[in-house]
Amino acid sequence: MADRDTPLINNLEDGPWPSYVKEIKRAAKKNAAAKDLLGVQELSFKDKITHWKHGGIVGVTGYGSGVIGRYVDVPEEFPAVEMFHTMRINMPSGWFYTTDALRKICDIWEKYGSGLTNFHGSTGDIILLGTDTKSLQPCFDELTEAGFDLGGSGSALRTPSACVGPARCEWACIDTLDICNNLTQEFQDEMHRPRWPYKFKIKVSGCPNDGVAAIARADFTIIGTWRDSLRIDQDEVRRYVKNGFDIKGIVTDKCPTKALAWDEKAQKLNLRADDCVRCMHCINKMCKAIRPGLDRGATILIGGKAPIIKGAYLSWVLVPFMKMEPPYDEAKELLHKIWEWWDENGRTRERVAELIERMGLKTFLRAVDLKPLPQMVYRPRANPYVFFD
Amino acid sequence: MTEGVSEELKEKVLKYLGTVSKAKNRDVARAVEVEKALVDKAIAELAKEDKIEYIYLGTSYIQLKQ
Amino acid sequence: MGKSDIGPPSYKKMLPAVIEKNYGKWKYHEITKPGVLRHVSESGDEVWTVRAGSPRLVSIDFIRDICDIADKYCDGKLRFTSRSNVEFMTPKKENVEPIIAAVQKLGLPVGGTGKAISNIVHTQGWAHCHSAATDSSGLVKAIMDELYPYFTSMKLPAKLRVALACCINMCGAVHCSDIAIVGIHTKPPKVDNSKVSAVCEIPTTMASCPTGAIRKNPDPNVKGLVVNEEKCMYCGNCFTVCPAMPLADSTGDGVAIYVGGKVSNARHTPMFSRLAIPYLPNNPPRWPEAVNAIKNIVEVYAKHALPDERMGEWIDRVGWENFFKLTGIPFTEYHIDDFTHGIDTYRTTTQFRW
Repeated sequence: MADRDTPLINNLEDGPWPSYVKEIKRAAKKNAAAKDLLGVQELSFKDKITHWKHGGIVGVTGYGSGVIGRYVDVPEEFPAVEMFHTMRINMPSGWFYTTDALRKICDIWEKYGSGLTNFHGSTGDIILLGTDTKSLQPCFDELTEAGFDLGGSGSALRTPSACVGPARCEWACIDTLDICNNLTQEFQDEMHRPRWPYKFKIKVSGCPNDGVAAIARADFTIIGTWRDSLRIDQDEVRRYVKNGFDIKGIVTDKCPTKALAWDEKAQKLNLRADDCVRCMHCINKMCKAIRPGLDRGATILIGGKAPIIKGAYLSWVLVPFMKMEPPYDEAKELLHKIWEWWDENGRTRERVAELIERMGLKTFLRAVDLKPLPQMVYRPRANPYVFFD
Repeated sequence: MTEGVSEELKEKVLKYLGTVSKAKNRDVARAVEVEKALVDKAIAELAKEDKIEYIYLGTSYIQLKQ
Repeated sequence: MGKSDIGPPSYKKMLPAVIEKNYGKWKYHEITKPGVLRHVSESGDEVWTVRAGSPRLVSIDFIRDICDIADKYCDGKLRFTSRSNVEFMTPKKENVEPIIAAVQKLGLPVGGTGKAISNIVHTQGWAHCHSAATDSSGLVKAIMDELYPYFTSMKLPAKLRVALACCINMCGAVHCSDIAIVGIHTKPPKVDNSKVSAVCEIPTTMASCPTGAIRKNPDPNVKGLVVNEEKCMYCGNCFTVCPAMPLADSTGDGVAIYVGGKVSNARHTPMFSRLAIPYLPNNPPRWPEAVNAIKNIVEVYAKHALPDERMGEWIDRVGWENFFKLTGIPFTEYHIDDFTHGIDTYRTTTQFRW
């Protein structure tokens, strides 16, 4: 493992944005695999292709998830990364940490792995990048002693994630962190022992701003909302206006349903509550004066996913309003029904949205005991091809 | 959560897995003609006992521990 | 065997005291300057947050560095955002400037709030992934070096979310971003029939193809597969199922750029990102073609969009015809959707702009 020259990636040590190449070099001072990773990265920059292979059976006893087998395709050149497996570690809800917890993870990863990490991976897990097969079990055992567990991978429930929610946001209509934590604990078996046609994701956003992109990225999308009216503090509204805030240009003109109007004469912000679709724009712009209502719960949507295989989907409205109080039995029951139908009918690598498209929303709604509602569609069908039964 | 999983069911699952190269839980449940939720539990126990393992070929399967 | 299925540690053990005390009681917030948030509670308490950018692929020593800052100023607590930024929280206003100084001393930028470009959500790329059609960390670094002033300021019409996926599997689910950068293959998989029967299941591999382009090899002497190249759209689904069909290619692989997506329900409903540029070459270490194209799109948007208009809302108002005109990006046959839901995008009105 001689020192190699890496001119291409060295170029990325320059520039104002913090450099991951510097980070790999920091790890490389202490770890042979991190050092070989520099060489592999340089080789990829030269060849313009990846040099990683997947496959093989790697994992820890009792689990089918949480470890991704990874091998370099030029092991003779880079023996220290012949095996370079990933471990996905389930983060605490909202990505809050004590420094003690973080330091423990660092110490364990220094002992068993490359010393390289992602904080965090796309799904939200702590990603520990690069170790060999024999280190997986002892590393896992020490992580569980420190209170951490593996996240999901393969055809399993993937690690649920949530926005910061009531911990530090005035817009949270549901307790995103508790919901995320509660569902994660409830469904450990579904996460750790993959059994379904393909992956299944749950994400929890506290309000329709959807800070964790739940509508695009989760098969089961939970978004906080409210059923009553916006709360408007007229004194605060007047304070905004008095300070030169262009309430018409910034707020009322942009209301998508024109539910808000500023009465200049009466110095009052009028709301037609029935027309409010809870888009969040006015709240975002005047958070001191306008707040979500108090009859709070969640809209549940189904099917969000990236393109593989039949195309990308945004989640569809499934339950317009569900109260979200612990222990969240209604949501859990619905999840079980969805999984049962999907697991029974899904083809290999078919996500739940693709199965709904193939078999029809009507069939799906019957399977999960939900009644059709106009909130589920933008508009009813235009064609006459109805199957009466 | 493991109530109701008998040694007999676990034996049946292992016996079926002995006849195939790999399977999904759903296939096992159909083969042993037992409700899938119960089969899922039996498979979880067998995994923890290190008698089966998981493979990933575009989707996840279980097989007898090699 | 040790413990199993213990799940993650409870977030309740991880919260700063001021957060725990005011959980669910926050009243309003303001961004006092780029990267600094002030949240005020019904109780009158406040918490200050300093947001710092991170390269995401970091060493354990980086984590220890930020822990040192949190130990010194934040009672040993910190959090990360969904876009891999680090957040330092403190009830003490007087801690804000020292935290900023400590963060900057580590070489990290403070910003990513409000009408800014926050950190790029991205995938593993050539650093770790078998199916990557481009690099992730390297390309992100090259882009963020150029877009850096947009991270540390709040001068854009609205927030601008950039995301990068190194292949169309999109494990980073980038498809609803203001700007989405996607690694793409442009050549069909090269079938290695000497390995297919050993490492792949032939029926599963055939079934994996969304366009039915994979068949059994017609030669009875060959136990393997053939690809109908005319039907292949390089999705790589077969490669995930069968490692003997690699499609990585030094000259064919590159990036596509999609624009105008959003997930927030504010004003306009959530939207998919749509194809702006079908292909730009992989040109490491700095990807000048991709970086310049992205910078151009950002600058045209910044110049023409109205306040609070996200990329997609701006394009919706001025029309895609004007998007292509203003950015100077050519519209080609590749832009016309011919996949499963494509016809919904064909224009069925005489209303358009010249």
